[in-house]
Amino acid sequence: MLNLLRMDLYRMRRSKSVYVCLACLLAMAILCYGMIWLMGTPQGQQIMMRTGVLVEEDLEEAQTILENVDTLVMFRQTCMDGGMYSVVFGIWIMLFVCMDYQSGFIKNIMATHKNRWNYVGSKVMTAGLLNLVYLVFQLGFILLLNRLFGNMVPYAGVKSLLFYLSWVWLLTTAFAAMMILICVWTRSVAAGALVAVLMGGGLVPMALYGILNNFHAAGWMKYTVYMSIQQGAGSYTSPADLYVYAVGGVFLVLYTAVAGLVLRRQDI
Amino acid sequence: MNAEKEKAEKRKAFAVETVGLTKCYGDKAAVRDLNLKVGEGQIYGFIGRNGAGKSTTLKMLSGLVAPTSGEAWLYGKPVSDPVVRRRLGVLIESAGLYPNMTARQNAVMKAKCMGLTDEKSVDEALELAGLAGTGKKQVRHFSMGMKQRLGVALALLGNPDLLILDEPINGMDPEGIKELRQLILRLQEEGKTVLVSSHILGELSKIATNYGIIKDGELIEQITRQELEEKCQDYFQVEVEDARRALPLIQESFSQVQAEVYDSRTIRIYGLAEGVLVNQKLAENRVPVYSSGFHHMDLEEYFLECMEGGKEHA
Repeated sequence: MLNLLRMDLYRMRRSKSVYVCLACLLAMAILCYGMIWLMGTPQGQQIMMRTGVLVEEDLEEAQTILENVDTLVMFRQTCMDGGMYSVVFGIWIMLFVCMDYQSGFIKNIMATHKNRWNYVGSKVMTAGLLNLVYLVFQLGFILLLNRLFGNMVPYAGVKSLLFYLSWVWLLTTAFAAMMILICVWTRSVAAGALVAVLMGGGLVPMALYGILNNFHAAGWMKYTVYMSIQQGAGSYTSPADLYVYAVGGVFLVLYTAVAGLVLRRQDI
Repeated sequence: MNAEKEKAEKRKAFAVETVGLTKCYGDKAAVRDLNLKVGEGQIYGFIGRNGAGKSTTLKMLSGLVAPTSGEAWLYGKPVSDPVVRRRLGVLIESAGLYPNMTARQNAVMKAKCMGLTDEKSVDEALELAGLAGTGKKQVRHFSMGMKQRLGVALALLGNPDLLILDEPINGMDPEGIKELRQLILRLQEEGKTVLVSSHILGELSKIATNYGIIKDGELIEQITRQELEEKCQDYFQVEVEDARRALPLIQESFSQVQAEVYDSRTIRIYGLAEGVLVNQKLAENRVPVYSSGFHHMDLEEYFLECMEGGKEHA
């Protein structure tokens, strides 16, 4: 598996899509941060009012936008909670895995590695590594933006940042494992992209939540990957906050195992 | 126990051996009860029409497709054995390459996948395939022939003992075909075994030491080059009005030769030095000769004959 991991990392470093996706994520962060600056700071509000986007009646409401917001909340709101991160990251996973099939390179891999688990394991590890790089980069970028915008919001504690990063990494890696499963199973770019948008963007989970909530049966959805990313605690206050690790761990193992089983049964 | 050991020892003599290898897709058998034997050091030409089951067989030998039933061994070990798989180099159908990478990057990828740490072997393989000078040119800008060459280079990585090449000369120019032919012959001289399928039978006949002919998923014949040459020996073909009536006359007049009726109007005579005498004899006996001449059956003709005759031929 380590040989495959070395191969995947070599390919990842040379893949333009890695940098394009990172640029998309950073651009989105700049856009969101800029919007919050315009809405939440006196200088921004003046610009908004001059251009007619904001009227005096909305001013009071706009001034509350930065209440109880620190860099961690800012990071969550600009990067994670809308599902944008999962969509972009999911699309990258789709490109990375489906390209093996589209190019036919999978034949070279499988002719060398009989154990199909190696393939899935290597892909999950690669996704996990890139996920970590993306999250750290984005968080660093948000901290940098905050600095550049004159410390618009207070800095969150390091412990909270590490706690959040660790569980959100586990959950988004579980999401990556689901994408790998879909790509291995369908071998289809279209199916992969569709799942990335529908599941990562939260369209399916939110629609399902809405339907089930009518029947008071949506409680269990708290334990899905999407909802856990949305609702997980920003800082550790009680052992109950740790459920996100369990959700991430269980789904990561489940999706990886199913992807391995699917691949084992497939002809190349 | 001894019998099992004996069997295992016998298997070791073959680079490839399959017993009752079968692959079904739904109700249809793509490969049926295939018993293939490829000896070490052979260049084995695997011949069959499109859809005959060649690629499926080669994929099963490469571990890409799981057989429905039957067994396949490489050097006396099952194809699933990770050690034996390291002795295998594969090019199945089109070469699997990342289009946005260079030839070298693709080769390095394969090398890393195999656990090769020395990038010298990558350069050597590219050199052998004539792709050392492609530099930063991405594979998507390569011609079909260059892609095939790179596929061969990837198959050569790790210095494999057995090469499985499925239609390796597809899209290659004559120069590339010649170079690949020479490369395969050189590899054989080094003691490697090559299992190669190709539609271009003329090319295959220049290098193959053994042949396997597959039709509708069944191996209808395995033959050595010597046996093929014997079967394809020169013959004199005469076209007359009624071959059955003319045959006794030829047999009577030329007792040393072997003659057979090929179809209702054609007679084939083997071991004849002078065709004029046959024509003379037939004319003297008022048997009109519509055409006559010497023929040498090549691999293509033999293959086509096999395809028409099917298993009965074998």
